[in-house]
Amino acid sequence: MAFREYKIGARLFGVALGLSMMITLYMPSLNIVEVGSTEMGLRKGLQYGRIGGFSVEDPFLKGEGKPLTVILKQDPRSGEQIEPVYAYVYKSGIPFTSAIRHPRIMGKGVEDLSLDTGRIGEATEKAGAVFVVSEGRWQGKKIHYIENATATRGWTPDVIMNSVTDADVRYIGAGKIMFVKEGCWWCHTLLPEETQDWQVFGAPPRLGDFNSESPTALGSDRKAPDLLHIGSRNSSREWMMMHFFNPRLVQPHSIMPRFDYLWGPADAQGNTIDYDKWRAEYNEYTAGKRIYPPDVPEPAANSEARKLIDFVLNLK
Amino acid sequence: MFKYLFAKNEEIPPGTAAVYFGFSSILWFVIGTGLGSFNAAKLAFPDFVTGYEYFSFGHMRQVHVMAVIFGWISMAFAMAMMYITPALGNTRLWSEKLGIWNCFLWNAGLSLGLTLLWMGMTSGREYSDFPWFIDLVVLFGVILPLGINVWMTIMKRRTQGIYTTNWFFGSAVFMVWIVLLVGNLPEYFQLTGLTEAYLTWWFAHNVLGLWITPVAAAIAYYTVPKVTGNPLYSHRIGHLHFWSVVVFYSTPAAHHLMSSPLPEWLKSFASVEGVLILVPAIAFVSNLLLTMTGKWRFFVDNVEIKFTITGVLMAIPLNMQGGFQQTRAINWYIHGTGWIVAHAHLALLGFSTFLEAAAVYYGLQTIMRRKLYSLTLANFHFWFLLIGFTIYWVSMTIAGLIQGAAKIYEVPYIDTVIAEHPYMIARWVGGTMVFTGNLVWLYNMWMTARAGTAIPAGRLPHELAYER
Amino acid sequence: MAWKWDSPLYSLADEEQNDRARKVWEGESLGGIKEDNNRLPRPVVWLLGLTIISAFLMTFPLWGQRPTAAIYADYIALMDTPEVQELVETKGDDAAMQYIVKTVKATGSKWEALQDRHPLTMNDLRLIKDQVIELQNAGADLEEYSILGNQVIIANFEGNCKGPMNAAGNCAEGVERERKQPWWDRGYTIDIFYVIYFCLAVMIAIKRLPNHNWKPDHTKHH
Repeated sequence: MAFREYKIGARLFGVALGLSMMITLYMPSLNIVEVGSTEMGLRKGLQYGRIGGFSVEDPFLKGEGKPLTVILKQDPRSGEQIEPVYAYVYKSGIPFTSAIRHPRIMGKGVEDLSLDTGRIGEATEKAGAVFVVSEGRWQGKKIHYIENATATRGWTPDVIMNSVTDADVRYIGAGKIMFVKEGCWWCHTLLPEETQDWQVFGAPPRLGDFNSESPTALGSDRKAPDLLHIGSRNSSREWMMMHFFNPRLVQPHSIMPRFDYLWGPADAQGNTIDYDKWRAEYNEYTAGKRIYPPDVPEPAANSEARKLIDFVLNLK
Repeated sequence: MFKYLFAKNEEIPPGTAAVYFGFSSILWFVIGTGLGSFNAAKLAFPDFVTGYEYFSFGHMRQVHVMAVIFGWISMAFAMAMMYITPALGNTRLWSEKLGIWNCFLWNAGLSLGLTLLWMGMTSGREYSDFPWFIDLVVLFGVILPLGINVWMTIMKRRTQGIYTTNWFFGSAVFMVWIVLLVGNLPEYFQLTGLTEAYLTWWFAHNVLGLWITPVAAAIAYYTVPKVTGNPLYSHRIGHLHFWSVVVFYSTPAAHHLMSSPLPEWLKSFASVEGVLILVPAIAFVSNLLLTMTGKWRFFVDNVEIKFTITGVLMAIPLNMQGGFQQTRAINWYIHGTGWIVAHAHLALLGFSTFLEAAAVYYGLQTIMRRKLYSLTLANFHFWFLLIGFTIYWVSMTIAGLIQGAAKIYEVPYIDTVIAEHPYMIARWVGGTMVFTGNLVWLYNMWMTARAGTAIPAGRLPHELAYER
Repeated sequence: MAWKWDSPLYSLADEEQNDRARKVWEGESLGGIKEDNNRLPRPVVWLLGLTIISAFLMTFPLWGQRPTAAIYADYIALMDTPEVQELVETKGDDAAMQYIVKTVKATGSKWEALQDRHPLTMNDLRLIKDQVIELQNAGADLEEYSILGNQVIIANFEGNCKGPMNAAGNCAEGVERERKQPWWDRGYTIDIFYVIYFCLAVMIAIKRLPNHNWKPDHTKHH
């Protein structure tokens, strides 16, 4: 490459760019595919489902096409008491999470156990399936794998949904979509620092903690507390409800926007929410003309607020 | 514009596409900084415009970022390429018609993409927020036509040589196309986990490193020798700059994720490469400042040089920050704080914007053959941009240091929020000044088109005296 | 496009090529822009050298890593001794912890610097004690584990394979990777080669230009 020798220059340019991409893309990928999914990674993948941000199945990010997370305290078939277990219910037609579609991404060991013992290969999106996370041993080590409970225990989505009430259902998958759509991650990171702040915000994500999650929405510009383990620090649904409706009800100095619009037109009892009245009363309260702020309406079972709160409380 | 979409290529006056791109970019700059000012107001006063989903911070923030990156900065780049590339090859743009279509598709695609983002239809990935079909529009409707025009103009040049600026233009359009293709793979193929997180930041890093930084620098390589009349100080430093951008700027992506469980060797590699970003920076700054030798009065007298050299000087703190803040020794303190936000604005609103503004000022005067309407208004624009940006940068840097300290000493988070509140107000004041300056600029350029003095044939815009 | 290696510090092109380049250089009008042929100013060369050196010095050693489980093994071994038990009962946790730290220091530990940098309380120690002992019993190398609050977890380092590798460059089936914090990282090795390759390529590119003692005369042909 020299003065006006553009052919050599163009080839050298190709070599340079190719080498840089080989080091920064190909070589790390060798390490990344080796990583075995942790229990947290498996649960995240299962509860969020395949759809992350924009997709053809859910173009307006309404939280459609998502699995349901159900807390089972009794066996849905026999009715006998069991240790509470999270079941991830994919009703017929709901797209499976990437770990089920491409078991390879769970990493060696987890993949083998999930396929052989967990029988995830037998699940079909058309029929729907129920998954649970189980513990097993692989090469002498304790690891977690995905079990297709529809095949191993006969728990079909219908059986499960008939055995539980809405109080046991968590809309975590749909809530993640709300988290993405409403831009929560522009201020709240999901990435405690590796070096410092984990005493407050909890452990940083480890290898294999998000093998089938997308988007990971780790965030970059932290203007608010990290949320990766918020559910362990604050498990109060009541507090979350007030905080989302108007953050300054519980934290006067907060700069978080109000997310009252996620409540929709009516509250849990079906009463129309009068936002103007609420705001007027709240303004009176801040002006010192009222002693107590107006009550926050309880979000309806199918409201976006309910989904988002389910998601946030489940970040443990 | 529409009458030219279906006109014959020969019937379109040369430079038309550049003029459309120029005015589009100014318009997007006004919109983008207006949104920025609006968002900053929300951070300072959280109940400012409240209760509407589409005016909440989470819906507006990405619209601001994408409007300035793909609207203002990239369209100003396209504008510069459309008039500088042919000028340096002593030829005409390969296809003026393709340029017009490019500008039309770009504006239409960006308007659509931003509307969707505004509605919340996002991929949830920072800097690659657009849904995947908008990414395809950007790939094939925006960058590819631009690339074809630039590459073909360079191929059909009537000089034997290719000047430094055109090396950068030609290769940067190619590189950003690859970056857009590879960086968005997680959206096309549902890639997950660490792969998705890494590719997100691989994209974010490279779109800055292989598109915005080199093209902005390339513009300065044109503006300074052209306006001052000095020859470029050194062809060989140009080589050093070009090759170090390709080699060192394309590799440190992992330094954005130092806290994630990416392979540790990759972070080590990336942080060394991150410091080496100073190599192209040193080459660039020294080459241009030495080119100014003997012509420093232009820094005071001439609008374009004032903007360009300010931008070049800002490359010094920018790269000192960028090079060192990503090492493990410093990153743990300032990662994820307002410091980074200040740094990002130093890159985009400081360094790069000042260089492009000069290109748009100079290009529009050259193509329209009209002398700038008002020097006073241009100076007003310059100082409002510079002071507004400085207020923004200083306040966000302080806020970042507060956040960093609070992070390390594990202060309750709300105390951080209280402590940085005055700086959030200052940031809003600074951002609003930038927005105001841009409104004035739009007016000034509009009046240049309508009422600027015609430049006689054979003369260059900067050779005429300013009139107002 | 011949290469001439007899005077590599002057030029790698032959004189005929240099002459041709000079003619093009002086005769060409690139949209009214001219280029000079100056060499890199000496201070800039120094600055570049300084940059390359500081790039390595700034990033090495690996900063801010989590403590490995190994540095607390001595502490944990002392926890069950009668002296410590007694101190806990009579004078409380803090005194017992001070005693442990002092004893370990007195006997001399290879982890002294890291122990100073990552101090912890008796309660912290209790939380990790059982996990560390379990790992020791399983014969694990404690240096491969990090302490993360109350958890002892496998560290995030991609070391060499402890056995054979497969064709793709990954560890063969059943073979583990070493997860110790290295004093040197293969990222730096790649960097060294990368920088050398860059310097060579740029020097060759520049040495094919007409030598810097030739100054183009921009008054000609214009």
